[in-house]
Amino acid sequence: MAITTARRRRSFGGIGYIVPSFAILLIIMVIPIVMSIYYSFTDYSVLGSPDWIGLRNYVDLLSDGSFLSAMRNTIVYTIIAVPLQTIVALFVADMLAKRFRNRFGRFVRSALFIPVISSLVVVAVVWRALLGVDGGLVNQVLALIGVDPVNFLGRPTLALVTVGLVTVWKNVGYFLVIYYAGIMEIPGELYEASAIDGASRWQQLWHITIPSLRAVTLLVVILGTIWSFQVFDLVYVMTGGGPGGATTTIVMKIFQSGFQNFRMGYASAMAIVLFVIVLVVAVVQRKVMSRHDA
Amino acid sequence: MTHSPSATPVAAPRRTTRRPRGGLLSGAVLLVLAAVAVLPFLFMAATSIQKTTRIALTIDWSRIDLSNYTRLFQDYGFTAALMTSAIVVVISCALNAVVCSLAAFAFEKKPFPGSETLFWVYVATMMVPPQVTLIPLYTIMRDVGLLNTHLSLALPVVNAFGVFLIRQFMQSIPDDLLDAARIDGARDLQIFFRIVLPLIKPTIVALTVFTFLTVWNDFLWPLVSISKDSMQTVTLAAAKLQGRTQVEYGLVMAGAAVATIVPFVLYMFLQKQFVEGVTSSSVKG
Repeated sequence: MAITTARRRRSFGGIGYIVPSFAILLIIMVIPIVMSIYYSFTDYSVLGSPDWIGLRNYVDLLSDGSFLSAMRNTIVYTIIAVPLQTIVALFVADMLAKRFRNRFGRFVRSALFIPVISSLVVVAVVWRALLGVDGGLVNQVLALIGVDPVNFLGRPTLALVTVGLVTVWKNVGYFLVIYYAGIMEIPGELYEASAIDGASRWQQLWHITIPSLRAVTLLVVILGTIWSFQVFDLVYVMTGGGPGGATTTIVMKIFQSGFQNFRMGYASAMAIVLFVIVLVVAVVQRKVMSRHDA
Repeated sequence: MTHSPSATPVAAPRRTTRRPRGGLLSGAVLLVLAAVAVLPFLFMAATSIQKTTRIALTIDWSRIDLSNYTRLFQDYGFTAALMTSAIVVVISCALNAVVCSLAAFAFEKKPFPGSETLFWVYVATMMVPPQVTLIPLYTIMRDVGLLNTHLSLALPVVNAFGVFLIRQFMQSIPDDLLDAARIDGARDLQIFFRIVLPLIKPTIVALTVFTFLTVWNDFLWPLVSISKDSMQTVTLAAAKLQGRTQVEYGLVMAGAAVATIVPFVLYMFLQKQFVEGVTSSSVKG
């Protein structure tokens, strides 16, 4: 310990190693964050220079119906995707960890991880084709059992639900891995003891696995929520935000305002609102986490 | 640290064999789920090699047709797109690995006054959603004339997450080892390259996988920052294909297949590293 502190005191030499990363983070993170906050108080179309307008953008946001509905859509999408992907991932991880710590289990985990490594763009392109009204696979199958074609992406509420379900399809493999690792850390004796007491598999899941995984679940839910609030690729490619804005999310709205209508100040204000939301979610996580540790 | 899923199946009690019925049922459920995860990609592949206007469930050998792929490369700029993606991947992976491991080395093994505070600033930047920096990043790149360059696609990928990840791993390197090298007269940079770097290789691999997937799959930043067709990434090109051709499922699926094949093949060879690399981002909270 004494040696370490002695070395710590005399060396400023470490700074040189920091410089490259610091320079890059300054350019791509720190300065842009400050600029983003500044832009959010300005009227800024790409061609002109930013004009300071104080809180106008934020005030306008509060009465901007299309932004409020984007906010609502994002929340609804999150409520569809996050609980479902969490529950499915937990159940599958439990099944795999309890019964299939073998080749078959590894195969299932590998298969479910393929959607995770594919890009959201590919996922969106493929699912859009699969869900198409005319010639889409899902409707071909539905036709076989005599169901009329369903326009999954063409009906407002259904489109949002569909995008949410595709998200679940993509994310389950990811959260499954996290849950699986968590279950592996639960002491086996807990299960053995409860088995002697005659506990059923469901009772074990309910009384041992789920309570032991509280911290993991919190992580999964928070991460899922943060991702959901940032959804863009899926809706852009699958629905373009439609029909009639029914799947337009916050980031979609940022993109439209900033890069299609060139209202960059206004779009920045939306980005800051998103930032605050994500920050609040992350802080809540830390608070709850530290309470658990204590 | 990252939990490696296969690392702890030590005391797996074999209670399972006693309930074969339940095992069969959950086995069937898992098989269905695995099929649901994989089948869309098989349909994608099957559709991409056939002349068809609908999604193909099967391969009809009489309609096999590779023209979708030749058209991608001849008419839709996929050769350039693959090149762009490859170059950007190499730049960003190399940059991220070097820059992050250097910083992690300093934070963990050569701390200086204020370095802990600075580290927390680094960690704090990980919480910022990329959409927040999107607009300023665009105006900065535009003003310095870097739009439509490989560098503009690669630079924003550098992330404090790499520093965080590698530093955690470096904690397991005993200071005595480095002190011994120092006594032998090695300079810090030598210590970094000769001793530290070989030891942190697994983390560098995980970080590189993570960086690769982030760059290869990135969409929003290329979408707003790339206006030249010759500078499109594969993912961007695959997305644009759909807008151009509404009904040509074969072509659209071929584009998606090209965008998928590279990560997929790497995943086949480096499964463990992929799972670690991708899920390591979950520990940053």
